Amino acid sequence: MAVREGLVYGVGALRAAARGDRMVWAVHRAALANGIVPVVPAAAVAEAFRTEGRGDRLEDLLDGAVIEPLGDEGARRAGELAARADTADLVAVATAEAAARGNCAVVASRQNALRAAADLLGHELILYAV
Amino acid sequence: MVIKRSVSLADEVARAVEAAAREDGVSFSAWLSGAAERQLRVRQGLRGVAAWESEAGALTAEEIAAGEALLARLLSGVSGMASRVRRR
Repeated sequence: MAVREGLVYGVGALRAAARGDRMVWAVHRAALANGIVPVVPAAAVAEAFRTEGRGDRLEDLLDGAVIEPLGDEGARRAGELAARADTADLVAVATAEAAARGNCAVVASRQNALRAAADLLGHELILYAV
Repeated sequence: MVIKRSVSLADEVARAVEAAAREDGVSFSAWLSGAAERQLRVRQGLRGVAAWESEAGALTAEEIAAGEALLARLLSGVSGMASRVRRR
């Protein structure tokens, strides 16, 4: 079984938190209580703030997370991976890439793009699908 | 900007930090700084959870246990779905 060392939140996790999903908050609390600071790709943050009205709840969640900037190299990697995965969903691709790089499990909505990108990276996706 | 501080560590802690820093390929100071930063983020994050709870209601002992169990499953490599977890 593939042991994981941390958590990556996709936009689905952020949306669920903004909407008050108590299990997402419970696992977030558990992560922090165990010294794990979840990682959130900057693209997921942008998408969540685009679609969710409860920015205050997002801010509360992100207080206990590391927002990972895309950066020059990351942008190139994400674009190339999205092309190979045949998807325009750069948020899902960035989420899969962050999970593979950090050996992390993912909290996100279930998406084919996420799984396709993880497969291309040779990373077994461990997902809590919200 | 970097600020120099003189800190005292127990001998065994200092040795463990030296070993960890060597393993991670960073300086002693950088390793300690990273650990402090992470701890501060955890502290800030738990305050964020408390802020959410003040509006949404505190997580119950059962919910906290469910969150711990879900985290343990994910870190041990077991995927899950929201509906399945909620039924437990």
